[in-house]
Amino acid sequence: MSAILNIKVKILSKKEVAPNIHLIRLDAPAIAQDTLPGQFIHIRCSQNYHPLLRRPISIYRIDKEKGEIYILFQVVGEGTKLLSQRAVGDNLDILGPIGNGFNIYPKSKKIMIVGGGIGVAPLLALCEESIRQEKEVRVLIGALKKELVIEEENFRNLGAKVDVATDDGSYQYKGLVTDLLERAVKGGWLADQIFACGPKPMLKKINEIALQANINCQVSLEERMACGIGACLGCVCKIKTKDKKEDKVKYEYKRVCVDGPIFEGSEVVWDD
Amino acid sequence: MIDKPNLEVEIAGIKLKNPVMTASGTFGYGEEFSAFIDLDKLGAMVLKGIYLKPKMGNPPPRVIETPSGMLNAIGLQNVGVEVLIKEKLPYLKKFNTPVIINISGDTIEEYVELARRLGEVSKEMGVAGLEVNISCPNVKKGGMVWGTDAKVTYRIVNSIRKATSLPLIVKLTPNVTDINIIAQAAEEAGADALSLINTLVGMAVDIDSRKPKLANVSGGLSGPAVKPVALWLVWQVFQTVKIPIIGIGGIIKIEDALEFIIAGAQAIEIGTANFVNPNVTIEIIEEIEKYLIEKNIKDINELVGSMKI
Repeated sequence: MSAILNIKVKILSKKEVAPNIHLIRLDAPAIAQDTLPGQFIHIRCSQNYHPLLRRPISIYRIDKEKGEIYILFQVVGEGTKLLSQRAVGDNLDILGPIGNGFNIYPKSKKIMIVGGGIGVAPLLALCEESIRQEKEVRVLIGALKKELVIEEENFRNLGAKVDVATDDGSYQYKGLVTDLLERAVKGGWLADQIFACGPKPMLKKINEIALQANINCQVSLEERMACGIGACLGCVCKIKTKDKKEDKVKYEYKRVCVDGPIFEGSEVVWDD
Repeated sequence: MIDKPNLEVEIAGIKLKNPVMTASGTFGYGEEFSAFIDLDKLGAMVLKGIYLKPKMGNPPPRVIETPSGMLNAIGLQNVGVEVLIKEKLPYLKKFNTPVIINISGDTIEEYVELARRLGEVSKEMGVAGLEVNISCPNVKKGGMVWGTDAKVTYRIVNSIRKATSLPLIVKLTPNVTDINIIAQAAEEAGADALSLINTLVGMAVDIDSRKPKLANVSGGLSGPAVKPVALWLVWQVFQTVKIPIIGIGGIIKIEDALEFIIAGAQAIEIGTANFVNPNVTIEIIEEIEKYLIEKNIKDINELVGSMKI
């Protein structure tokens, strides 16, 4: 993992790609080369101290050639609203890249990527990297309704097979994205690895499906975050510990920011 | 005009090259910030609170932003003193900055044993002093329970005093009726300095789920929102005790630091601001120096407690 930098990056372009969902392209040559799919940046959204804390935002695309990164985020509160209003040409104060990133096994041939809602944000870079490594990639996207299906063609353009589920049936399959995953597994399309990001109940279900089918499953978790550099222990999640003889504790709180945000689904304590 | 004003201050017999310290719990074990700042430039480092044994801490969510501040309920998750000594302190030895260990315990005996153990390794591992946490609002045993009762404060500080010759800084809670009584008890019990304030107890509610936003229900409020409260308490304690005071509470820019110093703080600790700007400590140190030059003040100590009423 490369060092986290505190740098200013210029906003090159911005676009509202779906209602309340924004894509921002950043000039970030200092970090683009070393950024891994699944990592995030911690952004000072305002230019003063209101709101006070930074906001952790997933890296959506990494363009190493141009030294650019893209972020994709949903406006959910004061911080993300301010971020969406920052102008092209503005400099953003960021910390990054942060986190461990997804771990694509060299021996994996088939990769399943599952995103729910804004959870697709860290998955496009992962899809691109998987295809660069010549994996066969399927992508399942879940959304509330058609207009909130985010940039599915970007995955398709990379060469992945994409299926979509909407809660209200306004686009493709009506139901949950986890239904699509179950169908794929039952239909005999067995991935070597499943990567997922989205709401916690979705991730929990995906982990169950993966466990049953004996497939490695990695999930991207989120939690309220303060420092983003592993110092404050604010953003923890409960993780089962590996066997240590002298250690009586069966689980521990790990930091989503620097120990994650990607965890093995089988390690996560889901019901807590 | 002076070109090199004196920034050195002395706290509890510890010489600091400038009055800017880090607040416990906001600076990890120091190393987390080494990518962003030169740790050698700090006045002192106060590390994440430590117990004799490792502690898991509270379930998440542990932090939530509030207007001009944040609530936290980490619950003193820590690696325990032996891991601190073996794995965390060696890294800090190469820096010429005093390292102060913030200590906690569930019982007085635990505090005493912890102080004794750190005293034992202090020379070898470079422990300059102890900050005694009797003010954490997020743990069931110990913590703030100790620091809201003057008699208990006296007992605990006195017991630690007898167990170690290390400089003792006692960190006070603002969640009391009269902070002066607690401050006096700590001074009489042998504290070399006081640091204040720890966080203010608070809460936030999610109106949709009607659940508290923190799993622990309550948390400690920090950040700019608490600064006026902290300043008032520093000013009161400054008039009550003779030992030096370290001002803490919402310092995010040089003006905040100067306010505390003028109100009676010999040094200051920067906390929540480290989360927003990892370089904030160094920026404030540089700006204090600039300020002294501009105002033609030869020595930072001239400002301490210089408030005009």
